Amino acid sequence: MPATALTPVIIGLPIGMAAVLAALGARLPRRVLDATATATAATVTVLAVLLLVATSQGRVVAWAGGWTPHQGVSVGIALVADPFGAGLAVVAAVLSTAVLVFSWRYFQAVEVFFHALVLVFLAAMCGFVLTGDLFDMFVWFELMSAIAYALTGYQIEQAQPLQGAVNFGITNSIGAFATLLGITLLYGRTGALTFAALGATLTGAHPDAVIVVSMALILTGFLVKAAVVPFHFWTADAEAVAPSPVCALFSGIMVELGIYAVARIYWTVYAPVLPVSALRGPLLGFGVLTAVLGAVMCLAQRHIKRLLAFSTISHVGLFLIGVALLSPAGLAGTAVYVLGQAGVKAALFLLAGVIALRLGSVSERDLHGRGRDMPLTAALTIIGGLALAGLPPFATALGKAITEDAAASAGLGWLVAVFIAASSLTGAAVLRMAARVFFGLGAPATAHPIQRSDDRSDDRSDDRSDDRSDDRSDDRSDVVGDDGEQDSGEAEEPSPARAPRTMLIPPVVLLAAALALGMLPGLPATMGVVAAGFTDQPFYAAQVLALPLPGHAALPAPVDWFTTSSLVYGLLSVALAVLIAAAAVLRTRLPGWAVAVADAGRPALRGLRALHSGHIGDYVAWLLVGVVSLGAALGVALR
Amino acid sequence: MTRRVRVVVFAVAAVGMAVLLVWAFAGARPFGTSIHPYGDLAVRAALEQRATANTVASVTFDQRGLDTMGEEFILFAAVLGTSILLRREPDELARTVGEEGTEDRAGSGPTPEMVRLFGYVVLPFVVVVGIYVVAHGHLSPGGGFQGGIVLATGLHLLYIAGDYPALRRLRPQRVFEVSEAAAAASYVLLGLAGLAVTGAFLANVLPYGTLGQLASAGTVPLLNTAVGVEVGSGTVLLLAEFLEQTLVLRERSGRPDTGGSR
Repeated sequence: MPATALTPVIIGLPIGMAAVLAALGARLPRRVLDATATATAATVTVLAVLLLVATSQGRVVAWAGGWTPHQGVSVGIALVADPFGAGLAVVAAVLSTAVLVFSWRYFQAVEVFFHALVLVFLAAMCGFVLTGDLFDMFVWFELMSAIAYALTGYQIEQAQPLQGAVNFGITNSIGAFATLLGITLLYGRTGALTFAALGATLTGAHPDAVIVVSMALILTGFLVKAAVVPFHFWTADAEAVAPSPVCALFSGIMVELGIYAVARIYWTVYAPVLPVSALRGPLLGFGVLTAVLGAVMCLAQRHIKRLLAFSTISHVGLFLIGVALLSPAGLAGTAVYVLGQAGVKAALFLLAGVIALRLGSVSERDLHGRGRDMPLTAALTIIGGLALAGLPPFATALGKAITEDAAASAGLGWLVAVFIAASSLTGAAVLRMAARVFFGLGAPATAHPIQRSDDRSDDRSDDRSDDRSDDRSDDRSDVVGDDGEQDSGEAEEPSPARAPRTMLIPPVVLLAAALALGMLPGLPATMGVVAAGFTDQPFYAAQVLALPLPGHAALPAPVDWFTTSSLVYGLLSVALAVLIAAAAVLRTRLPGWAVAVADAGRPALRGLRALHSGHIGDYVAWLLVGVVSLGAALGVALR
Repeated sequence: MTRRVRVVVFAVAAVGMAVLLVWAFAGARPFGTSIHPYGDLAVRAALEQRATANTVASVTFDQRGLDTMGEEFILFAAVLGTSILLRREPDELARTVGEEGTEDRAGSGPTPEMVRLFGYVVLPFVVVVGIYVVAHGHLSPGGGFQGGIVLATGLHLLYIAGDYPALRRLRPQRVFEVSEAAAAASYVLLGLAGLAVTGAFLANVLPYGTLGQLASAGTVPLLNTAVGVEVGSGTVLLLAEFLEQTLVLRERSGRPDTGGSR
């Protein structure tokens, strides 16, 4: 198959198979359904790897409908695969395969719809990363969203999934409106939708109101998807209630695609007109805020899936910082970091699913010491926590190290502190959870209402309200309480003596992949070259529009593998994570001054919690604040 | 946040948003100018290259047919999602249609004779119009999306006429599930056919014919038909999910007046 045929087949195969499964599904035995869906996702993985290999010879450009450009102009849609796009397609396909395998035994009453939706979701993600067209990107974004809402609300037996899905749906739709409005503004100015044509048209233009506002609006939808503060509120609500394998897809890849869109759109469309200096400040601001707030909220959670959701938010902040450096090295580091995080975070969510299936809860308090007979799950969770904290040589640590170096060489050495803080706090949260659940360390939760310990409803957001009702009970927890006796109905068997092997193999494979990627000494240098190509807008435009190619931009300094200093920083993060986790577990035995320090932070934490109210009106208000801040910051930076 | 704080935050942000938008719109091109690079190109491509009289159809199904595939699947996903969210729960009871309250429009009282008559008489005409709108999508305003909606809503004249049992007989959900999925798949297959023949996905591989004839525009009428069937079936299924939820399903504990709410 020629490389130009791979791109559309990667999109068309899963989407077409989803339709076939939906048509035949009710008649197919569950096994056939599982096997067909998994085989489709695996085939897409292979095709995406082939495409990735093909992109090493240069971009693979395929014009849908055969509308190849004449003299640099086309009315069609370009599918443009480069290593970053194809690589993300590989990640999406690998995670979808892992999730489908995991789901063989995870779901009891799964109907055909779950398989079909996961396959369409995969197609949408592949379309999103392989398109070279702004509006087409929006279409795939909308398709991803439509499926994501349904998957979030999958467990209809309970009230919370619907609330989570509604919050997700409303916030994302408002983001999508903003993006569409921005596209309209830009299209009205340029008459073009292909990234390459947009960039070429804007070259040399004056960065006026249309350009600044259209950028702010277009980015809004993607920043909502990326869970960047203050666009992030939907994330924890949705991931607390969505089935664990779905969360693995959300946190492992979907959210990161929002960051990809920011980078892609800047480097192909706006780079010729908006100088790096104008964008760096605003993006860094959002990135640091997201990394810090996500990390603090992460440590404050007792609901395992909310905890993981906030850790994703925190890491997304780090990714945005890497992109905001607007340098090839920053992008290369972020790309490696995204790869590592995809494996680690998806594995952790799948492990949360194992915990839910075995123990019937995902509340750290309910589960205190109840995971003692799950050695493999425990070991994998701890490894995941350490990898999240940045333990070399995991790819998370490597990506973090490269991005830190890029920040330091851009004269922003203080960002290293943000990276260490965010990765150690999120790692600490996972380690603390593991210590409590699997080893029963620390004091058991006495304040927790034990009468619900026999209900095995998993994946509920009730723990959040429990957390907050330490000192006050609000009406939300009452609503949740009504639901207390309901059964989740998600798990296959009430509590199997052992987790099925098909549920443990995917997290093992994903963690191993994250480890293996970090151990490739050549990876950083390759990523550096790829990132340099990604940021070379004139070359991109000429290649896509089939115009005479300009010379390549000068290659930046090669990107190193682990250096001594980056190893030290990585180990420092891990040491901090272990210390923080230990302090959190052994809270009662801490010296007085340490308790005093911890207590001093409580009011601020309570304020942060109150912001995450679950009230959609709050979320929309903050979203709007975010759009205006972004627009204003860009406008001011250009003065 | 308290209500007051929320309103204040929102109001301040909304004012900021208004300022941004006014700033941007003031700098946009004036409305109604005759210069638009894409518009000129798209019209020329539709009329001169592809014999597609309805330029919009050419943009939707030929020049940007990939977008339309994505959009078709957004509806497909929405239908699947609705089926998931409204699937029958264990604590819900499916009542027999024909039982008190299921055959009529939910709680709105008996249907007036005139409305009943109107529904039965108009239905066949609406269906014909729907088919026409789909089939002539490449020639005149309309097409698969519009015609599909006309077809689906046409069937629901039976509901307006107060004959839910008849509507149910006319739309066996299983059949529509298959036709919806098959239509969605056929769009992808047409795309792959283009790929196989010319090397470009969704390439317009059929003869273009003569501008203005029913047999013209190559694959556009076929894609239009695929979308028409998909949209028609999908909309029927969507409405069916909601109607079943409202009219047929009840919580077992039996709160007949709040059926449909959970």
